[in-house]
Amino acid sequence: MLKNDLILRSPAEKIIGAENITNGQFGAVLSRAGVGKTRFLIQIALTRLLCDEKVLHISLCDTIEKITIRYNEGYTSLVDSIGYVDAQIAERLWDEIQHHKTGIAYNQSTFNVNKIRDYLDSIKGADLSLPTLMIIDGLDFDSDLSDALSELKQLQQDFGLCTWFSMKIHREDPLNHNGYPIQLENYDMLFDRAVFLVPMENKIQAITLKDGDRTDQKFLLNSASLMPVEE
Amino acid sequence: MIRDLERVRNIGISAHIDSGKTTLTERILFYTNRIHKINEVRGKDGTGAVMDSMELEKERGITIASAATHCEWNNHAVNIIDTPGHVDFTVEVERSLRVLDGVVLILCSVSGVQSQSITVDQQMKRYEVPCIAFVNKCDRSGANPLKVCGQLKDKLGHNSVMLQLPIGLEDKHEGIIDLVKMKACYFEGDSGERMVEADIPAELKNDADTAREEMIDAVSLFSEELTDAILEEGEITEEMIMSAVRTGTIAREMTPVFLGSAYKNKGVQPLLNAVLDYLPCPLDIKNEAIDLDNNEEAVILDSDFDKPTVALAFKLEDGQYGQLTYIRVYQGCVNKGDTLINARDHKKVKIGRLIRMHSNQMEDVDAIPAGHIGAIFGIDCASGDTFVSPDVNYSMMSMHVMDPVISLSITPKDNKAQINMSKALNRFTKEDPTFKTYVDHETGDTIIQGMGELHLEVYVERMKREYKAEVTTGQPRVAYRETITRKAPFNYTHKKQTGGAGQFGRVAGFIEPTEEEFEFVNKITGGRIPTQYIPACEKGFESCLVKGPSLEFPVTGIKVSLEDGAYHAVDSSEMAFQSAARGGFLEAYNKAKPVIMEPIMKVVIETPNEFQGACMGLINQRRGIIQGSQEEGTMSVIESQVPLSDMFGFSTVLRSGTQGKAQFTMEFSSYKQAPQSVADEIAKRKAEEKAAKNK
Repeated sequence: MLKNDLILRSPAEKIIGAENITNGQFGAVLSRAGVGKTRFLIQIALTRLLCDEKVLHISLCDTIEKITIRYNEGYTSLVDSIGYVDAQIAERLWDEIQHHKTGIAYNQSTFNVNKIRDYLDSIKGADLSLPTLMIIDGLDFDSDLSDALSELKQLQQDFGLCTWFSMKIHREDPLNHNGYPIQLENYDMLFDRAVFLVPMENKIQAITLKDGDRTDQKFLLNSASLMPVEE
Repeated sequence: MIRDLERVRNIGISAHIDSGKTTLTERILFYTNRIHKINEVRGKDGTGAVMDSMELEKERGITIASAATHCEWNNHAVNIIDTPGHVDFTVEVERSLRVLDGVVLILCSVSGVQSQSITVDQQMKRYEVPCIAFVNKCDRSGANPLKVCGQLKDKLGHNSVMLQLPIGLEDKHEGIIDLVKMKACYFEGDSGERMVEADIPAELKNDADTAREEMIDAVSLFSEELTDAILEEGEITEEMIMSAVRTGTIAREMTPVFLGSAYKNKGVQPLLNAVLDYLPCPLDIKNEAIDLDNNEEAVILDSDFDKPTVALAFKLEDGQYGQLTYIRVYQGCVNKGDTLINARDHKKVKIGRLIRMHSNQMEDVDAIPAGHIGAIFGIDCASGDTFVSPDVNYSMMSMHVMDPVISLSITPKDNKAQINMSKALNRFTKEDPTFKTYVDHETGDTIIQGMGELHLEVYVERMKREYKAEVTTGQPRVAYRETITRKAPFNYTHKKQTGGAGQFGRVAGFIEPTEEEFEFVNKITGGRIPTQYIPACEKGFESCLVKGPSLEFPVTGIKVSLEDGAYHAVDSSEMAFQSAARGGFLEAYNKAKPVIMEPIMKVVIETPNEFQGACMGLINQRRGIIQGSQEEGTMSVIESQVPLSDMFGFSTVLRSGTQGKAQFTMEFSSYKQAPQSVADEIAKRKAEEKAAKNK
């Protein structure tokens, strides 16, 4: 019951649709530094955890402790957005679903896709259920990622998981005619979903740059909790 | 014995396994003239360090039992408890922390804050023990004390402040810079025994100035005098800084960080100075006991030698002259010839021989005054007992002790071994509250229980070596539990009429799951069951929890609500209602969907990055849940939750899977419901055992 209520409150559900999250192959959350890419990715992950699916969160920028704290915060924001929820029930649900998330923090300099493949192989080898969603936070889209992304594409096919990335853009970078930042334009063909977060006064505007037929929709989010704001 | 308590320090040395605790203690004993030669842990001469007094410890290179030792430094008495580093022995660490006033937390400058450091830190928080940190092994390749200081902040939440800077690192580590005195310190002589102060090398002067400024900034929070001096740009004296650091440290609001390399004899003497300067003396610490005559009210103990004596037995050892009981005196004075009372059983205890220990050597003393640690010979008591003067009835707070999670059957090889085994078990259970033993009446086997495979392994080994008791061990067994998952009603009538007085009692109500071990709610109204029989009903239900009806594991998490019942004026009795309650429980239990709970362990693996995938694979193969993995330099730390039943033999598998380069720690986390396949297997095994027994 609480699971469904939480999914319905999620900004990821509102903007992308809970089912659509794992329908595609590559998705991206774009914004300037400090706007809320990681927090939005965590909301995406939480919707899948609430659907009893497994999530693999790879971070190249945060420590495991920090990732854990951010998930706790994300879940708390979601629970708080409902209003009154029995704290014990909410806590029990969190205990139940958080074990479906595995966080791995790699050094940016030594990261390679084979490390993820090793991990997924070990899960497959032990005949355990594989994650359906992989979050990759902190990959540097200013550098040449052609090889890494094609390896990740292969990984996706081999293990049947959908991948969402954070994509940092810069204030001074111009947008192309579609409104895409250069980082997305470079790998346009690989991504079937993209959400652009833009700070607006004391709120955040989420624009769906790519999402099947629902492109260019705009939503307002609370900048502190990232929860959808009624317009 | 020094009676001015301001010149007494009771300290512990805690750290992750292999961080160099014993090596550091050995150096301290050498510099304080307690020993005249340094022996290395696992040294080439086969002697072993003095603090590892147990043969087994010397052989394995780990410290199993805390060895207490006394030394003197700069006219201060320092009592040191060397604590074990392996998680399986954390009860030792906890017991030590209970009696200590301060701790030196050793961290490896390469590995930084490791899993055991986190456990030890939590224990320090529980007992509110102030600490200073020593970043050891600065001579090792990859040493980075600044990173470790940062980890203290990030991982353990300490307000860590560097009071020293290294002069060179790795193979170029020459000494340290004291940021309080603004002097360079070098350590000369064969064993670094001569500390030489010199000017700070010119190339490090700027770094030292910046670090000192940062340090003073952080420390000024704890001293108005220092803050004023900074704001008024007045002179900042050494005393001002030291006083501020001491205040912050004792309040547990800052952790001063020192560094060096115990193995290379660098930085140990300044650390000893820091123990005196910054860690609390017994007068700085508030110690509480409970007054057993006054509704267990907390009483503050006063380190006054003339007040009634209160002392805690925190460790027992079997010496060649009988039982050696380590005590910490909190109030009054324990004198030779005194008669004290053991607050647990109110037995009188005559104090015969009192000694002060220096690892495995002893020195006779006439008295152990408040604030000091010492040992008594020839008294019979258990670890954790409180000794008091006859005019008070105090007990020190009970220690936090966890239930054992693993058991092992042991069988003595012959009659002689049987006698020695009994002696050994009697001693071990007194020494270690997490080690338990009982005889299984059905199989006749002696069962030992503990906190992990290694925990029990060490005791079996100690039986062989110290008591010459050869035993064969069975397969380790996990302490499963049963619980229910849904509400179920009962309505049971116990009726017997077999001549003479009959038996009659009826109970009705329901059982349901709860977070508590056991709850009993009496909802009887209108005297349907007379009040005098209600405790018998509760007793009857509770007696069913010892063994589950089908699988015979202890049952937990049951709430019984008694709503209705009936009695007979003549035939009802306490016994009849106990039987009715047992019948009611059995009736409801199977309807309440019972499940098996298994102990889940928190397993932390530290491995070189190249084996990260392999280690994760090992966890996955064991029904483990990987919670996170973090790359830190060349090493990865993998945190996971794994059922204990799948952890048997893990150390061997991990060693072979990582060329011996990975290590792991394991501690109890929680009980979780076992998956159906596992539960079925356990049920099958139980059925086979029963069948074999009946044959």
